[in-house]
Amino acid sequence: MSETMLIFGGWVAAGLTIFLFSFLYKDNPFFKVTEHLYLGAGMGWVFQTVLFQTWKPKVWEPLQAGDWTVLIPTVLGLSLVTQFFPRISWISRYGFTFIMGYGSGLVIPLTISTDLLKQIGGTIAPFMVSEISRANIGSLINGSIVAIGFICVLFYFFFSVEHKGVVKKASNIGIYFLMLYFGAAFGNTVMGRFSLLYGRFDDLYKYSAPKYFYATHVILAALVIYFVVDHFRKKKPEIEEEAA
Amino acid sequence: MKNFLEKLLKIDRRLIFLALAILLVFPIVKPLGLPNLNLGSEVKSLYERIEGLPPRSFVLMSLDYDPATRPELHPQAVAILRHAFRKNLRVGILTLNAGATGLIEEIGERIPKDIAPEKVYGKDYVILPYQPNPVAVMTQMGMDLYQIYDKDRDGSPIRDMEVFKGIKNVKDMQLGICITGTAMLDYWIAYTGDKFKFPMAGGVTAVSQMGYAPYLQTGQLKGLVGGMKGAADYETLINHKEKGTSGIDALSLAHLMVIILIVTANIMMLWLKYL
Amino acid sequence: MTLIKKYIPLAICFLVGLMTLASYYVPNKTSENYLEVMNKWENIVAGFAFLLGLFSLFFSHYNKIRRKVDGWGYSLFVFVGFLVMVVPALMSHGKQMDGTSLTGLGWGYRFMFNALSGTMFSVLAFYIVSTAYRAFRIKSAQAGVLFAAALVLIIGKVPLGQLMWDKLLGWTHLGVTQIVQWLMDVPVVAGRRGIMMGLAVGGIVTALKIIFGIERQYMGKD
Repeated sequence: MSETMLIFGGWVAAGLTIFLFSFLYKDNPFFKVTEHLYLGAGMGWVFQTVLFQTWKPKVWEPLQAGDWTVLIPTVLGLSLVTQFFPRISWISRYGFTFIMGYGSGLVIPLTISTDLLKQIGGTIAPFMVSEISRANIGSLINGSIVAIGFICVLFYFFFSVEHKGVVKKASNIGIYFLMLYFGAAFGNTVMGRFSLLYGRFDDLYKYSAPKYFYATHVILAALVIYFVVDHFRKKKPEIEEEAA
Repeated sequence: MKNFLEKLLKIDRRLIFLALAILLVFPIVKPLGLPNLNLGSEVKSLYERIEGLPPRSFVLMSLDYDPATRPELHPQAVAILRHAFRKNLRVGILTLNAGATGLIEEIGERIPKDIAPEKVYGKDYVILPYQPNPVAVMTQMGMDLYQIYDKDRDGSPIRDMEVFKGIKNVKDMQLGICITGTAMLDYWIAYTGDKFKFPMAGGVTAVSQMGYAPYLQTGQLKGLVGGMKGAADYETLINHKEKGTSGIDALSLAHLMVIILIVTANIMMLWLKYL
Repeated sequence: MTLIKKYIPLAICFLVGLMTLASYYVPNKTSENYLEVMNKWENIVAGFAFLLGLFSLFFSHYNKIRRKVDGWGYSLFVFVGFLVMVVPALMSHGKQMDGTSLTGLGWGYRFMFNALSGTMFSVLAFYIVSTAYRAFRIKSAQAGVLFAAALVLIIGKVPLGQLMWDKLLGWTHLGVTQIVQWLMDVPVVAGRRGIMMGLAVGGIVTALKIIFGIERQYMGKD
């Protein structure tokens, strides 16, 4: 690809980024255009990926080779689209029930193993004889805190009995453990979002270089001019009214 | 004073936006060079596991992230890949996220350029195509992977590739690493890790990092790289600083701003209430 | 007609669900073969599922254009964005690279999709900061605990915070990294594990209800 196309790409990327950020100042047509482009481009990307990496090798090529069995899942898959036509929407049930039955059948044993048994095992592991015999007091204390906290959180989510007396106390302790979890998660969330923003600014900085003919600077300046002009343009009728 | 504080509490949020933008741009233009002091223990666990693998072991990397989480996860993938190649491991790259294919293409372009120019496609590494329905793919990977992946992303048959010598399913592989901004790592843990006793590690966004603490404690996860900080930690461990490390300055300043804003707002609120 | 419209789909769900479930607990050649076929088929079916999103988006914006509702012109850009990705893909047969140079599709991903998707999600950072200032009020002990955990984590994770901690609280000989690590290894595990178990029980019950046809909202109205 020619250098010109890469420079043009820099202008497009900088422009789209700045237009999306412009919403932070106020809603404007540039943002709206870019927002809609995003919806279409995202769907277009998924479409071409599925077309060339699933439909072609998994449906088209086997059919050409005479493997007609792929027609069964293809028809089931296509049946999903009938959802949009009320008179025949019941056909989509065949596709949906096939997906739901398979998913449900897989999820049950694995959830029991991964999120139930293994987690209960992890909670009681520090109290096993082999662990206790190591006389690691720190591990025992931490294990006890995890066990108490875990049980209290379960009490908090347990609505089959009224929360009063011991149950209320346990569930209150559970809330504190949840708050510690949410607090830690919040701290990390802040960090995550800043990383994304940093990534975009880093790109904008790249496109502000002379190699890209100062794309970021030029587009930013043009947008500022637009907002200034727009501001005065919208104020004009008021001034005219006052004069009248 | 009261009026001033009330006005300050209701300050135009666009001024806060501007302050944040300036604070993040400043270290990009003029890096502060802050040291990455404390490395996460879960990051070290993954590093040590890769370090301990015998040469030519097979590492499966599921890169399931798209541009929305690229700044956090792409540096992780590059650093881990660099480490794996340095240890002379075989690497299989795949994705179960349609949005990731472009980023994997970038990685495919970078491997011969700067990540590991001496490595040969088909012998040392392979890139597999995107597949929908992660659960079906993962379940099949535990039985016979060629039933679901018979060709690579360019359409070449993979069964006879040297990189797949002795590999039929995940039980023949030594480590799986899923780098994702979604719940894909949970699926990998359940559908291959636990089911087929396949050692799994992960790279996740900072947002979801805390949610994996129970899996680390039970040993269902062998290591975890979280967010840009995790990427910076990994880059420090392999002694090759890149995008993860360069972001640490900006993160430091922005975090300081958040803490100052929360504390200031609460002090002002207390002042208005009690004084 | 009820048989075709309702009972056969429910029977498919029941049979597929039960056989998939059984294949986990009865690992033999037959169950493995069954699961292999199912995995391949599900893979293909899921390849068509995204059409639901595609049709939904297109119908909604086509209707806006057809009815000329306010801002209908913007809807045209949904189709422009779609074509900008799909036309180059058709021209390059889905290849993003042609040797060492980018194809039109690769260009579209690198300079358009990358910028659009990345920016859309990064905007949230601004709102997090503004909300932290305007709405994060420590009015109770629970909110205090939440803030303390967030504060320690933020300080402990970034170098500037670690340097400040060492300067101000170094005399306590309590490293912030150790506190963060303890937080992650103990209370976070307890809190998260409780939520995880609740979700697991809910998930299992819902899956059973789907297999036995008790939960059938996903099938739509009769």
